[in-house]
Amino acid sequence: MNDAISTYMTADHRHCDQYLASFEQAVDRGEWEPAGISGQDLRTSLLSHFAREEEKLFPDLLAVDPRARGPVQVMTMEHRQMRALLDELREALGKQDAPGCLGLAETLHFLIQQHNAKEEGILYPLADQGLAPRAEELVEQLKAF
Amino acid sequence: MIDTRGLSLDQAPPFHIPARFFLTAPLFVLLAGLLLLWEGPSLLASRWLPLALAMTHLIVIGYLGLLMCGALLQMLPVVLGAPVPAVRWVGSLTHPLLGLGALFLAGGLGYGLPWSLAWGAVASALGFICFLLPVTLALWHARGEPGTRRALRAAALALLVTLLLGLVLSTFLLGLLPLGNFTGWVNAHVIWGLLGWVGLLVIGVAVQVIPLFFVTPPYPALARAWLAPLLLILIVLASLAEVRGWDLTATLALGTVGAGFVLFALLTLWLLVRRGRRRLDPTLLHWGTAMLSVVAAFLAWMLNAPPTLVGILLLVGVGLGLPAGMLFKILPFLAWFHLQHRQLASGRFDLRIPHMGSLLAVNWARTQFGLHLLALLLGMVALAVPALARPAGLVLFLSGLVLEGLLVGVVLRYRRASRAFMATPAP
Repeated sequence: MNDAISTYMTADHRHCDQYLASFEQAVDRGEWEPAGISGQDLRTSLLSHFAREEEKLFPDLLAVDPRARGPVQVMTMEHRQMRALLDELREALGKQDAPGCLGLAETLHFLIQQHNAKEEGILYPLADQGLAPRAEELVEQLKAF
Repeated sequence: MIDTRGLSLDQAPPFHIPARFFLTAPLFVLLAGLLLLWEGPSLLASRWLPLALAMTHLIVIGYLGLLMCGALLQMLPVVLGAPVPAVRWVGSLTHPLLGLGALFLAGGLGYGLPWSLAWGAVASALGFICFLLPVTLALWHARGEPGTRRALRAAALALLVTLLLGLVLSTFLLGLLPLGNFTGWVNAHVIWGLLGWVGLLVIGVAVQVIPLFFVTPPYPALARAWLAPLLLILIVLASLAEVRGWDLTATLALGTVGAGFVLFALLTLWLLVRRGRRRLDPTLLHWGTAMLSVVAAFLAWMLNAPPTLVGILLLVGVGLGLPAGMLFKILPFLAWFHLQHRQLASGRFDLRIPHMGSLLAVNWARTQFGLHLLALLLGMVALAVPALARPAGLVLFLSGLVLEGLLVGVVLRYRRASRAFMATPAP
């Protein structure tokens, strides 16, 4: 089976994990300048990932596979929760509040992990299946976000 | 056909069900610590001493049994998309039965009270059966990572065999059943319980959570898929040889099982060294200590060290430490997760949910790890320096007390935040 979509989107998840890890490490060491940079990288990469899904992947998938409706709703709601945490994180970063940053990053990390497990286990395989004929083209479009 | 059931949010049991298991379990560490403090060095002299057996069962049923059952009721829907049927009933029955079972079993074994032993054996067995029946059904329908599924099924089978062997041993001790080669049967019970149920469950859980918690590379596919089933086969062989008195086969099979677990522990340590999240948090420290304890236990067994040393390494190093480390992540995340849903339901987006760092006092979690490590070291040294047995008991008690305090703190903060959602009307 063509798994170009899963492969691309899963790799995107791993990038976000790495940004979160470097952010935490910088905060932990009290290096606020690198923390600011990796915090911004984390925010940008997560928000573009959500956009890839909400503006392209999910609508395209829903058009070919109505079974995805429930899962897509749940995923979109969790994106909202993550956006709220990202906002809180930016605020804590602005105040150089290390315990706040670390606690929020930890919460975001766990929310992301259980979210990714569901996407990688269910939603992306559905997309690989339903959107197989134009997978490569779709991946190119996703990269543009 | 891809199954989309796993995405429903209401599959997870209500917060109070796992919380009840998690808050009760550390009380048994307090009891185990008090027992060692009270009895002193004589408790550690041999694995066959009544009070050593009592302490072991306080830890494996009271602490580990409650924690593992509570955590699985919560984890199965999330990790394997397998909600446990009638989870409220399972929670309400298993929790008191295991708690009472551990107490009575410890009383019966430790103080030679037949009625207490009988009640303890029956309550523990019923508690585990109430848990195993629905969990087996859930595992039947499980999906997701096949390696985790296999390991968890193997662990569930091992729990069943452990409890059956436990019942056989209790009936013998009560004089209701003649049994040749008692030592062999006890060894088989220990092998299925510690290496089967606990060991295979740790493998199944680690494969899933180590990469997620710490952003490490995944375990190699071969280990993920086949380590647990292979160990299960060897465990069958080792326990059969123990019961039949085939000493050489038993030693060889047990040695291979041990080597398999050492391989797993080294693999885990290697992955942890390569982790993306570099912070040295208490959960990571507990995992590291537990994996080193596995390696040390195997070396001690190879070198013919006293079985109590192997016991302390496995029961305290792995059994008490690992689940404590896991709770530092699981309970705050669960609390946060449920609070999110309260917020959604109440529409109170003006209220802020406390994040994981403010739900769990991380500094106290570090203290808990420190006390745990000290209790482990003192316990081991006490085998050679008996004067250290009581201090080991005291520190064990304190580590349990701090653990309990930490968990109660999370639940109280959860309650306070949860009340705020209900009390004030939306503006």
